[in-house]
Amino acid sequence: MHRLLPVLCLLLTACTTTEIDEFRQATTSISDGESIVILGRRQNNNYETEGNFVECVANVVQGGKDGIRVVPEREFLDAMFPFFEPRTAPMRTSHLKQLMEIDQAKQRLAEYGIEYIVWLDGLTRRTESSGTMSCTIGPGGGGCFGFGTWTDDSNFEAEVWDLDTLESVGSISTDATGQSYMPAVVVPIPLIARVEANACSGLGNQLKQFIGGNPESGT
Amino acid sequence: MIRSVASTVVGFLGALRAVRTAAAAAAGVPVTWLKLRGRLPPLLPFLSLLMSSLLAGCAASTIVIDGDYPSPLVGKLPLTVGVYYSDELRNFSYTEINDNTGDDEYIVQGGASQLELFNTLLPALFDKVVELPSPEAADADVDAVFVPSIAEFQLGLPQKTKLKVYEIWMKYNMKLSNPDGEYIADWVMTAYGKAPQENLQTVDAGVQGAAVVAMRDLAASFTLGFKDVPEVNEWLKANNVALE
Repeated sequence: MHRLLPVLCLLLTACTTTEIDEFRQATTSISDGESIVILGRRQNNNYETEGNFVECVANVVQGGKDGIRVVPEREFLDAMFPFFEPRTAPMRTSHLKQLMEIDQAKQRLAEYGIEYIVWLDGLTRRTESSGTMSCTIGPGGGGCFGFGTWTDDSNFEAEVWDLDTLESVGSISTDATGQSYMPAVVVPIPLIARVEANACSGLGNQLKQFIGGNPESGT
Repeated sequence: MIRSVASTVVGFLGALRAVRTAAAAAAGVPVTWLKLRGRLPPLLPFLSLLMSSLLAGCAASTIVIDGDYPSPLVGKLPLTVGVYYSDELRNFSYTEINDNTGDDEYIVQGGASQLELFNTLLPALFDKVVELPSPEAADADVDAVFVPSIAEFQLGLPQKTKLKVYEIWMKYNMKLSNPDGEYIADWVMTAYGKAPQENLQTVDAGVQGAAVVAMRDLAASFTLGFKDVPEVNEWLKANNVALE
C-alpha cells in the first residue's frame, strides 16, 4: 500500500478544475420541433474556435433525455452561405437584425426551426511546461527516463442569441485548468488531465439547462 | 519508372557478379555464390520499394485543391453574363520554394477548383451564365462579359511562419465589360483562409483546408459585394436592374 501511495497521489492530482459562470439577460425556453445551432467564432487573427470543441459541445447539448436538437455547424454554414462565413458572420445582434431583413436568410432559418444561435469563442492553451525526458534504443532494448509536467487552460464563452427577439439572452463562460504529468521509468506513464473534455462537458450541460429554462440555472 | 530504375540496379548487380566470377575463374579461385532463392523476398519489389522511398523524399509534393462550394443564398440579378476562364486560371499552379535548398517544396494546383467555385457562384447570382471561348466571342444576347483572374497567391506554412495555422491569401482581378469589349468595371478582391494545424495532420490536408476557406471567403465577398462596386452599381442602375 505504501508503494502505491505515490502513484495514487499522482492519479488524484492529474485532474481538472472547472469554473462555470452564467449571466442571464432574458428568459429562455425551447419546444419539441425547435432547434438551436452552435457556431464557433473564427474572426480572430490569433486563433479560432476549434471545430472539434464545437462538435463536442453540440453532442453534449443534444445528448440525454433532456437533449435539445442541434443543427450541425457545417450543415448550417452551407445552408446559410454566405451569411455566416468568417468575413460576413454577424458580430452583434444589430447585425442579426440586418440579416433577418433578407428574405432568403429569414426563410432558411425558419425552415430549420432555429430558435437560438449560440456563439462559442475561446481556445485551449498550454500555460506552463517543465521537465525533461530522454529516450534511447539499442541492441539490448530501449526505454525512456525523465519526468515532464504541463498545465493546460481551456477558456471558452458561449453567447446565446434569441431569433425571436433578435437580442442576446445571456452568456456562459467556462474556465478549466488541469495539470498533466508524464513520469518515465523505461516506459512513459502518461497522466493526462482532460482539460478540454471537462470544459466541453461543463459548458454543454450548463448550456442545455440555460436554453431549456431549467430552474437550477436561475430562470 | 520505379521498376525501370530497380531493373537497372538489378542488372548492374548481375553484371558485377559476372565480372567477379570471371575474375575469380581467371585467378583460379573457386567461387561459391550462396543461393538464397526462396529464402528472401524477391529482389525486384524490395528494390522498387527502396527506390520509391528515396525518390519520394527528393520530389516536390503536389497538392490539388478539391473542395465543395455551396450555392449562395441570394436573389438572382436579371442578367445574362458571359464568363471567360483564361488558361492561366484553368491551369493555376503555385510553387512553394524550400528556403534552404531553393528546390520546389510544394506545388499547389487550384485551377479546377477555381472553375468549380465560379461555376457554382455565378449561376446563383445571375439569371443565365454562358461560358465563352474568348472574351470577344460574346454575342448580343449577353449583357456583360466577366473575366476573373488570380493576380497573386501566398501560402503560409506552420514550419515557416512558426504559427500553428496554414494560411492562404489570394488577390483576384475581376473585369466586367460590355459584349463589344467596352469597359464597365475592373476591381480587385482579396480572399483569406486559414486552417489550424492539428496533430498527425498532413501538409496536404492543412493546405486543402485553408484553400477551401479562402475560396469560400471570395465567394462570400463577391456575392455580397458585387452590386456595391461603384462602377458596377452605376452600370446596373443605368440598365434598370433593381437593386435591393
